[in-house]
Amino acid sequence: MSAHHWHESGPADSPVRRLPPGLKLLVALGVILLLVSLPRSLFWLSAIVAAFLLLVAGLGRIPFSALFKRMLMLEPLVLGVTILTLLQPDGWRTFLFLFIRTNLCLLASVLLAGTTTFTEMLAVLKWLHMPWLFVTTLTLMHRYLFVLADESERMRRARASRTLTPGRRFQWQMLSSVVGQMFVRASERAERIYHAMCARGWK
Amino acid sequence: MNAIEISNLKYRYHDGTEALRGVSFRVLPGECIALLGPNGSGKSTLLLHLNGILPEKLPADGAVKVYGDVVSPANIENIRCQVGLVFQDPDDQLFCPTVAEDVAFGPQQLGLKEADVSERVKKSLAQVGLEGFGHRSTHHLSHGEKRRACLAGVMACDPKILVLDEPTSDLDPRGRREFKALLRLLPATKIIATHDLELAVELCARTIILDHGQIIADGRTVELLSDEKLMLAHGLERPHILHHLHPH
Repeated sequence: MSAHHWHESGPADSPVRRLPPGLKLLVALGVILLLVSLPRSLFWLSAIVAAFLLLVAGLGRIPFSALFKRMLMLEPLVLGVTILTLLQPDGWRTFLFLFIRTNLCLLASVLLAGTTTFTEMLAVLKWLHMPWLFVTTLTLMHRYLFVLADESERMRRARASRTLTPGRRFQWQMLSSVVGQMFVRASERAERIYHAMCARGWK
Repeated sequence: MNAIEISNLKYRYHDGTEALRGVSFRVLPGECIALLGPNGSGKSTLLLHLNGILPEKLPADGAVKVYGDVVSPANIENIRCQVGLVFQDPDDQLFCPTVAEDVAFGPQQLGLKEADVSERVKKSLAQVGLEGFGHRSTHHLSHGEKRRACLAGVMACDPKILVLDEPTSDLDPRGRREFKALLRLLPATKIIATHDLELAVELCARTIILDHGQIIADGRTVELLSDEKLMLAHGLERPHILHHLHPH
């Protein structure tokens, strides 16, 4: 049920939500390219970009708390990339520069994802003539992510209902076995899906 | 001409399990046949042979004939148009994001024009009672709706033979009743693997009982299902509906 819920609570209706998805993708890409190619001497421009992105978030009616949570989830990645610069002499400037730039790039992607459904994004990719295999893979991934999430949730519940003395070590063992089981189940399902595709003339 | 003719079909899985040990039978056009048997008796494996999903490497001289043609690599596309397979788990079969896209998959693979594809989608959805469901996400349908969408996806290819693997499992009584009514209306030749013995009695004049990869019995449904000894010996039972229809 949880995966169902997560999927259903898609982007809320807003002016940004109603914009053509192609345009949104273009703007997001533009913002990211601009940020990446920004020389350090013009770094003050990123303040304007930040203001623009926050405006989009406001118009997109994305609650700032939700936005903050999402960004926080991505922060380990950002820090993983940037923290090494602190080891350089006078590295904190570079760190700050990279930290802000990476975060703004991520913010642009998070905003795009928050105001566009995945199906719309796939339609844009198709329209852009992205490689067919890539789009098909993404489509199938999106379709079955939720099926697998539901399945893993059922397995977790079934295990939890028979776990009487939960210890941390045991939980780790359980997790590893769940991951293994999921892998086996997913590959079996993949085979059945492939059969179903072949049965309807997939070439 | 026989719609399907199977002679001495054998199949062994990679792990050595003998799933089918010499199965032979014929199906006439327009027949509706129930395929019964306990779990692991080889029903699903048999169904996968009917449109060439199994064996993995199709021989040129296979054991399955569809309307007189041996299922072989040369005519596999043609065979898959003629034999529509509805799988047991609807989530395996509905692999597209929306219902309309999924129903369109088969006709698109046939190489039809876009206008023809959407015409078929509309027709198939109407046929299974899912008008207006085209834009719905396949993940969010009820189980009964998923079953119908699967059927629509197969019907869109306009098959002469429909092969269904446990079509009423996981359906609530109303869903089961409605799905049976829907199946009854479809004119195609039907082969239905099922544990739903009432469905067998209500829809299928003929029944084939499979156990350990062999055909145990092949005959009139009412006669076979009334034979309590035979039923119990193969993990089945005499359905209650027979007590009402044929009290003695």
